[in-house]
Amino acid sequence: MGPLSALGDGLSRAARAPAVLAGTFALTLLVAVPLSLALRGMLIAHLGPSLAADAAARSVDFDWWQEFSAQATGLGMTFVPSIIGFGAVLQNISNLADNVPLATTIAGVIAAWLVLWSFLSGGILDRFARNRATRGRGFFGASGAHFPALIRLGLISLLVYWIAFRWIHPWLFDSVFTRATRNMTVERDAFLVRLLFYSLFASILILVNVIFDYSRIRIVLEDRRSSLGALIAGARFVGRHTGGVAALYLLNTVLFLLLIAAYAIVTLAVSPAARMPWLALLAGEVYILARHYLKLTFYASETAMFQARLAHADYAAAPPVVWPESPLAESIANAPPVGPC
Amino acid sequence: MFARVASVVALIAVLGARSLIADTPRSPRNANYTITARLDHATRTIHGDERISWRNVSAHAATSLQFHLYYNAWRDERSTWMRERALAGVKDARRRDPSDWASIVVDKVEMVPSSGGAAVDVTAQLRFIAPDDDNTDDRTVAELPLSRAVAPGDTIDLRLQWTSRVPRTFARTGAIADYYFIAQWFPKLGVLEDAGWNCHQFHSTTEFFSDFGVYDVRLTVPRNWIVGATGIEQDAADEPDGSRTHHFYQEDVHDFVWTTSPHYLERHERFEHPSLPPVDMRLLLQPEHEGQAARHFAATRAALKYYGEWYGPYPYGHITVIDPAWQSGADGMEYPTLFTAGTEWIAPRGATDPEDVTVHEAGHQFWYGIVATNEFEHAWMDEGLNTFSTARAIEAASFQNFYSQRYFGGFIPWTFMDLPLSREVNGDRMAGYRKWARQDVQATPSFRYWPGTAGAITYDKTALWLHTLERHLGWPVLQRVMSTYFQRYAFKHPTPADFFAVTNEASGQNLAWYFDQVYRGSQTFDYGVDAFRSVAERLGSNRTVVVARRYGDGIFPVTVRVTFEDGQHVEWPWDGRDRWKLFEVTRASRARTAEVDPGHVLLLDVDRTNNSASLRPQADVAARKWSLAWLVWLQDQLLTYGFFV
Repeated sequence: MGPLSALGDGLSRAARAPAVLAGTFALTLLVAVPLSLALRGMLIAHLGPSLAADAAARSVDFDWWQEFSAQATGLGMTFVPSIIGFGAVLQNISNLADNVPLATTIAGVIAAWLVLWSFLSGGILDRFARNRATRGRGFFGASGAHFPALIRLGLISLLVYWIAFRWIHPWLFDSVFTRATRNMTVERDAFLVRLLFYSLFASILILVNVIFDYSRIRIVLEDRRSSLGALIAGARFVGRHTGGVAALYLLNTVLFLLLIAAYAIVTLAVSPAARMPWLALLAGEVYILARHYLKLTFYASETAMFQARLAHADYAAAPPVVWPESPLAESIANAPPVGPC
Repeated sequence: MFARVASVVALIAVLGARSLIADTPRSPRNANYTITARLDHATRTIHGDERISWRNVSAHAATSLQFHLYYNAWRDERSTWMRERALAGVKDARRRDPSDWASIVVDKVEMVPSSGGAAVDVTAQLRFIAPDDDNTDDRTVAELPLSRAVAPGDTIDLRLQWTSRVPRTFARTGAIADYYFIAQWFPKLGVLEDAGWNCHQFHSTTEFFSDFGVYDVRLTVPRNWIVGATGIEQDAADEPDGSRTHHFYQEDVHDFVWTTSPHYLERHERFEHPSLPPVDMRLLLQPEHEGQAARHFAATRAALKYYGEWYGPYPYGHITVIDPAWQSGADGMEYPTLFTAGTEWIAPRGATDPEDVTVHEAGHQFWYGIVATNEFEHAWMDEGLNTFSTARAIEAASFQNFYSQRYFGGFIPWTFMDLPLSREVNGDRMAGYRKWARQDVQATPSFRYWPGTAGAITYDKTALWLHTLERHLGWPVLQRVMSTYFQRYAFKHPTPADFFAVTNEASGQNLAWYFDQVYRGSQTFDYGVDAFRSVAERLGSNRTVVVARRYGDGIFPVTVRVTFEDGQHVEWPWDGRDRWKLFEVTRASRARTAEVDPGHVLLLDVDRTNNSASLRPQADVAARKWSLAWLVWLQDQLLTYGFFV
């Protein structure tokens, strides 16, 4: 299976799992809503009966926003004008790329979300590998069964990413970049250098990311218990199928870039600052839903590629073996009869 | 009425133009410099030779001369400039290579007798002094005792030879690669006042102060390098060693700077106006900003037009706009007849970059260049007045001004076209003032401000109190104040007392109560609605009660307004002195809103949100709207970090 077919297969598998899409979307929403409510409380407390609220309700009251920011603490400090529309997307990606520290509250919420997602990823991958509805029992059973291995793998990945952001990023961007551009007087040239460094750092992250992706897939699809074993197996798979894996990653990235470009265009027309907050919210949530879909497509297409390119490529997952049999066991059970040797 | 005011303003401007562009010397011209300097690019060194002709314009005899040697501020980490910088939390030294540091060494000083006799070498008598902090490691001021005192009105001539090591840019002067911006680069006399020499050490948060004079300067740089400098280029000649000498000349200025680079693009346009003198604008532009030439000219034109119309004409007839090289650190600085702007490779329309900095620095030609206040001691008099004027000019010129942020290492901009920035909340810089309002009393000499927050007191606070004054007095009155001040003190060194006296005189009011608070004090202003209710008393009648409160320690007269359901309103003036005041009214209609200072006259009010109250509050609607917008941001944040799983 080529990368394009894997992507197509992934898009199709993700589309055929609307409950998974809805569930992951709900997870993100449920994690975010309590904080949004907390912020809402802060805003109400600060606005009180003031007429500034009328202005803020009508459009953007930058005067009030500055006053709020001046007294904000904790969560409130993240409520900045950059959250409006496409600025939110740019800020988040840019802060990650530039290794900008997160506010403590936000870091805690992200950590919780990552743990929950790790829990669900067992069920998600299981669902995509079987390419059929696994129902709640099957989905959460797979999530629970694979969670210990996935969380151990997550801790290993945390260590690797920590090294990348704690040591490699500062070395690249604070030390090497600064030295490389020290005598540059043309901003465009310096930006090209920075772009090169972003690409270099992104390559490192992507390499790590893709190995951990396929390790996760191997944990779930092959019912592995050893995270280290899965990691080695994942790396081996990536090593043997580097071209395909990289191309698929690139295709998924292109889809992501197309999505954020589309959102950028939409936000130019629909802004929460204007008299259309509900429309802006709708556009934002559709975008968030689409990002979930693309994330699931990432999982599904990588799963499809793994299943297609593994030595036992005929183990195309299909019914009817039920959980807790591993997807590979299911594939074997469903494999067409082998003729006489 | 408006037409009448406009004609008076135009008349003042025309009369002012005549007085300022007269052929006679505009300034005292008591500190005149003839300089020849050669740049050695290979060693990043300047060898200079200057002749100073100085006339004592004070009331007392001068027994010594005092010179600024600014480049020594970056000689090592022990200078006052570096120590103050460290105090502000800036760690310049850590990032510096040994080759980045600077110095200026006076090789020889000679007294040149006016009778024409032989020059007398007095180099050995030159000594470093530290009048501000007794820092014996600071070498930014040198004193030369005189064997014969210079009587009031007398002139002394002397000749200095010096060598400067050009730094990698500190404080907007220095070099990077083959780009040079050279300011504060030659031994320069302080200002002798009746109280003695005013020649401060170089401080990290303040700028400069010197006397007016004539500058005749010859600069030798590598051939084919473009040179921009104070004044007009008179001629240029190739030297046998492959270099080229450029000759610049300018009268009635108090400083001289220059820049050179082989990469500059040169553009010219002309400013013309029905009642202001024309100005030739020369723009030296970085090649990567070629497409922004028109924006630089438009912004310079806006400053010359509005400052000219409001205060008085720009008299020199030429101005040089420098677009400095990236990382040169030379952007956003004013010098006589030349200033540096500053822009980015990607500068989308909608954000005032480069317009804001260009208008501001061009505006300094008026507040600093022409009205030459002491930037060491009263930095607010040029920076504050100019920040106020910049915001006003940006608004008057209708430059698009939206909130903008830069991402990915600062290279990629994004303009929030749904978030327009007004003069009130952005141009006057309320956020900075609110944070640091109590940090220093503005009357403190600027060089003694707390280094980390001096900007808020110098720039932001002044702009806000001037804007408040504009709303309190009305623009025609404040315009009269500022144009009177400009006309009266052009080519002079006014003090704060001069400004306040002109304000009282031209406004016809004694505003001491105001200046006592905003200049001589660090009070903050905060008025608010403490209680507001409107209850039915008897059939067809509602009793409305408002308690207005003064939360801050600053006092300012305000208006209290109640608006009723039927759209009508009542207003009460309040002198704002008591801590609170109750206002009552009985009307047929129920009240809807109460506001203290509804016209937002008091821009210095640090908490505007508490200035109003509504009986139908919309906080819930606003909070829901913005918390939901934030929700999308948080969801996106989660998914962005979802990269890791």
